[in-house]
Amino acid sequence: MNFTSKNEPFEHLRKVWTSKHRNLQDKIWDKHKESLSWIGRTISPRSLALGSLGGLLLLTAPQSGSFNTQIASTQGVLEGVDTNVLLADQLKDIVPKEVRPLDKTEEGDITKTLSQVFGFKVTSELEGIKLNRNYGLIGGEQHLYRYPGDNLQAHADSSGDWAKYGGSGIAPGLGAWGYFAPSKLEFTEKDKQKERYYLAIQTFLAPGFAENVGKYRDFFKHRKMLIVNPKTGQAVVAVIGDAGPAEFTGKHLGGSPEVMDVVGLAGGPRKGAVLYFFIDDPKDEIPLGPIKIKNFS
Amino acid sequence: MKQFYTHLVEIEEIIVELDKLDLSDEQRHHLASLVDSSLHHTILDAILSELKEEDKRVFLKHVHDGEHDKLWEFLNGKVDNVEDKIKKSAEQLKVEMHKDLKEARQKRSTTKVDD
Repeated sequence: MNFTSKNEPFEHLRKVWTSKHRNLQDKIWDKHKESLSWIGRTISPRSLALGSLGGLLLLTAPQSGSFNTQIASTQGVLEGVDTNVLLADQLKDIVPKEVRPLDKTEEGDITKTLSQVFGFKVTSELEGIKLNRNYGLIGGEQHLYRYPGDNLQAHADSSGDWAKYGGSGIAPGLGAWGYFAPSKLEFTEKDKQKERYYLAIQTFLAPGFAENVGKYRDFFKHRKMLIVNPKTGQAVVAVIGDAGPAEFTGKHLGGSPEVMDVVGLAGGPRKGAVLYFFIDDPKDEIPLGPIKIKNFS
Repeated sequence: MKQFYTHLVEIEEIIVELDKLDLSDEQRHHLASLVDSSLHHTILDAILSELKEEDKRVFLKHVHDGEHDKLWEFLNGKVDNVEDKIKKSAEQLKVEMHKDLKEARQKRSTTKVDD
């Protein structure tokens, strides 16, 4: 006996929206063929595939499977992989095989390398404050409420965001520093980026925390950090948005759904080893999000 | 991928409706790709339709380069009320999609048993 399940609402939408999408493709090509052909000849196919025009110029038919694969390949998880692989190659000789706290020499070698390849100061100590460790296991966190009345659906900039990150859900409580903005009206693009690329760090385990709670709390709030997956070189600039995870979890830090995606750990167990260091950016010039290496020796 | 029009187009209502459907991960990704790509085609068509041939090329180059500041400076100099035109074209598409979503929700999932 065979059971065949059919999700009728999905099938209906797939059929109707695929047909409409095809019509939109035909329409834009009919109306603007000359300029679209020109850009297709001017830009290399690989570069086109990675840019915003990839879907417009490379796709012929939005058929199931291949359509998804091609759209997805221009976004998210592949970002940051290409040139950053060179960084992974450089790190493999200086990052220990087992996931453990780094010793002074390792810390120095790694921060020197990261500062050199990214072009800004990466450090394990800032204003006399250090974390309990800089190499550990990151686990996937949920989204955070950003302002009173926020909801999960509002986090997505696109349907692709919803499909990729919506499933992570939203934490029932607020982050350690509360909302990112006091109201939706006062919520800025900067606040949005902070929640998108946030980390939960075991700030409470930092040496000296218990004696300086107020000072450390202020120091850690939205402190900018660099996270690197040493196996792939994928890297992201993020801020500390929450305190955690608890020690018993066996994890040493947490990453927002977007952070996990950028460092290539969004799939499977949503866990893996990463390097994490402070970024010395007093003028707030380094944008949050995926980052590629600038210099390589 | 953040598009140059992301701040103008709210897709929250579409997502709320999609969330009401019982979709697998693969189905979510598939429909999301169709929504985003349809929106992208619609908005690019709306803008290209307002530009002269040589300006279309400059615009497409800016889109490809992802230089949003330059792109907006260019568009504001070439098209009157370009933001309103983008919002209007996106709104029309969203209305259609809402209608499609409403129809889809009226369909019921079935399980067929073959001996």
